[in-house]
Amino acid sequence: MTSTRRSFLKSGALAGAGLAIWVEFPGAVAEVNAAPFRPNAYISITPTNQIRIWLTRSEMGQGIRTTLPMMLLEELEVDWSQVQFEQAMPGGLFKGIRLRTSGSGSTVGTYTALRKAGATAREMLVAAAAEKWQADASTCRAKSAAVIHLPTGRHFTYGELASAASQQKVPDNPPLKNPKDFHIIGTRVKRTDGRGIVTGRAMYGLDVRLPGMLFAVMARCPSIGGTLVSFDASKTLASPGVRHVVPVKEGIATGVAVVADHTWAAIKGRDALKVEWDMGPNQNFDSDHFLQNMQGALGQDGYFVRNDGNAVEALGSAAKTLEAIYEYPFQAHAPVETMNCVADVRKDSCEIWAPTQCPEVAQEETAKMLGLPPDSVKVHITLLGGGFGRRLFADYVPEAVEVSRVVGKPVQMVWTREDDMRRGFFHPCDIEHISGGLDASGKPTTWLQKSIGSNLSMFGFPDDEEKKDPQHYFKDGSPWGAFDNPYRFPHLKADFVPLNSPVPTGPWRAVEYPATVFARESFLDEMAHTAGQDPLEFRLQLLQPGDVLKIGDQEIDRSRLIRVLQVAAEKSGWKHSLSHTRERLWGRGIACNVYAADCYIAQVAEVSIGRKSHDIRIHRIVCAADCGIVINPAGLEGQAESGIIWGLSATLHGKIDFKKGAAVQSSFTDFEVIRMNEAPVIETHIVATDHPPGGFGETAVPPVAPAVANAIFAATGKRIRRLPITPDKLKTSS
Amino acid sequence: MPSLVLTVNGRQHRISADPEMPLLWVLRDLLGLTGTKYGCGVGICGACTVHEDGDPVRSCQIPIAKTAGKKYITIEGLSANGTHPCQKAWLEEDVSQCGYCQAGMIMEAVALIRRKPNPNNEDIDADLADHVCRCGTYQRIRLAIHRAARERRTS
Repeated sequence: MTSTRRSFLKSGALAGAGLAIWVEFPGAVAEVNAAPFRPNAYISITPTNQIRIWLTRSEMGQGIRTTLPMMLLEELEVDWSQVQFEQAMPGGLFKGIRLRTSGSGSTVGTYTALRKAGATAREMLVAAAAEKWQADASTCRAKSAAVIHLPTGRHFTYGELASAASQQKVPDNPPLKNPKDFHIIGTRVKRTDGRGIVTGRAMYGLDVRLPGMLFAVMARCPSIGGTLVSFDASKTLASPGVRHVVPVKEGIATGVAVVADHTWAAIKGRDALKVEWDMGPNQNFDSDHFLQNMQGALGQDGYFVRNDGNAVEALGSAAKTLEAIYEYPFQAHAPVETMNCVADVRKDSCEIWAPTQCPEVAQEETAKMLGLPPDSVKVHITLLGGGFGRRLFADYVPEAVEVSRVVGKPVQMVWTREDDMRRGFFHPCDIEHISGGLDASGKPTTWLQKSIGSNLSMFGFPDDEEKKDPQHYFKDGSPWGAFDNPYRFPHLKADFVPLNSPVPTGPWRAVEYPATVFARESFLDEMAHTAGQDPLEFRLQLLQPGDVLKIGDQEIDRSRLIRVLQVAAEKSGWKHSLSHTRERLWGRGIACNVYAADCYIAQVAEVSIGRKSHDIRIHRIVCAADCGIVINPAGLEGQAESGIIWGLSATLHGKIDFKKGAAVQSSFTDFEVIRMNEAPVIETHIVATDHPPGGFGETAVPPVAPAVANAIFAATGKRIRRLPITPDKLKTSS
Repeated sequence: MPSLVLTVNGRQHRISADPEMPLLWVLRDLLGLTGTKYGCGVGICGACTVHEDGDPVRSCQIPIAKTAGKKYITIEGLSANGTHPCQKAWLEEDVSQCGYCQAGMIMEAVALIRRKPNPNNEDIDADLADHVCRCGTYQRIRLAIHRAARERRTS
């Protein structure tokens, strides 16, 4: 089995094949009569009919605490009101069950496992009831946490059956319901944990309070890769409320932690700290220079990504050719809850409270640091005040652990906004160079795409041996969006020039798609206009109904992409062009993408530009999506809105610059994001199909930037190829 | 350490703290009222919004020395059990995603509706533009504010 970054993010196979997603514990918990029925790690039913369900993903706004139970309860035949939910922790019964949350993979990765978990329990409960009644199991039905004997109407609650069910054989392949019988999956369910949020009772990482807990903030070397030389803490230690000053070696950077009675005292104490840094090897790193290096690499031969037909030759003989270069800058995640972690290190154990997408990593690294067996480290997963990929890293955990170990008390490590914005794992800077060829009739024949970008430092860079393999990136399916370009060109070539900077990079909502799709969908628009064709029709001629693209281990059904393009166009009124007004130029743009072969999405953006001011307003975005069976349509619509606003922030504002080895931007003043006054109306249209469910947490992000850029071109005739698109760029563009 | 009396959610608390300490950290770290969130510390994200004598303010920008004689309401004090029209509307419109910014959003919305019982979208944009929601729930916040305003007018 090959491990790709997609499989790691989506299904969790990078750490080694054979990660079990299904662990059963038959009988082991049934020895004591009063013990709960625990047919698997996910479900517990006590004889007093207390039903508990464990959630195996982190809630970071994607609604997973609602989606996961929907799948399980569907098969278990229990209603929402009858259940208590628990957040699973790494280890124990969950050893070998994935808890990491990433790659829009939570629904995809649990759909079968959770249904099977529910069905297993249901079948065992039904078998127990049938045994008690000496009836045939086929005459018994599970419904609302009870089993009913249909011929007589007798019934037992699940609690009454708990002990007997524990004695039943665990079925190997419990029958799963026919989707036409679903009564939970596919219904609109509001967030089950919404009340805690609106009353202020929901607990995020920063809200954890333990008796005797101290608060820490840390001074980290400003320059990436720099290290601590020395520090003078005399003023800090004299600052009110400060208890300890602790040098820290673990985490993303070495530094000095100030530990105090409360966060404010820690922040003030840090202000008073004198630190000498060795600015390290990257102190002259400048992202503008790096961008020049990237442009300088355009002539380099890249690694093979796709090669259909003979694109180089075809381009040479095309009747008309065009080319363009697109640029996507570094981006920060900037979740509103900054990075943080509470650690309580004891002699032989440690407890962690963290808003994290990767609790297994937090446990493993903590155990390693402290020389403890992993099961002695308990990791509590709080609510996440936004994740977006940033919390797939656990760098804030070892910082808290190291400080708690030194001071001997529970410690909350708090990153300030400036810490959070300037440090972390950024979306990498990326350049895409695309050339296209049209024949004499304006038909597209040729596509050449060269991606110049980062490997994502999270995954480690390939070693020299791996680099010798010309198919290294093809085997990895990278870059997403270039590798799985869904259009059928007679001649299509894509290659990848990896160019790594010292900036730590990692998954940022939609991972590798945003940059490649911005370029791909913008350039299709450019080709369409060059050919004098409608951008929708231009795309449709490259997608034939019934045509399936097989690439790597993916199968992309072009019919599904056609359908979402048509729905988005129809619902947006694509055929009726917008009229300019006295003050403003109006236009629409279309873009689409296929996320991981299982989510098909198209968007139409409606924008206007001030004729004089060049200010950009996004009025409306119409989105059509087919991601197979939809577990919760309400959740999908929320994720469409969320992904679109995320994409818009990067389209109109987002950019992180590095000077002297450090991020320049430090807060929401200089790294702006979309706010209420810029938020468009978003309409989401679900194209329902019966394909297996796809994940939707990231899917809506990539098409936004090109849809907007294409709309701006339609309005103004100006093509902006470097994000973010700003009034200044529009003003100076011809 | 100087001591003062802080009135929050109808209760008086005697606080001993650095006079410069922002109300935000007093609420969160000294009183355990963690419903009010830290987002930026410089008054530009709105996550820490509370009411000061009924007006929305950024608690990260208010030194505790300036709180004397004023009455503060935080998200915890908005209603006994989530029954304020805005809280109900937030649930009805299924607004929250990660939810971290929503306490600040709700406190701003409550003040807006009190001042303008029938706010239009421009009013909402003007007042809520000082808040950041990285999950992008803006469209639903708009709907929830209209719903809450409707309920308040009809009840």
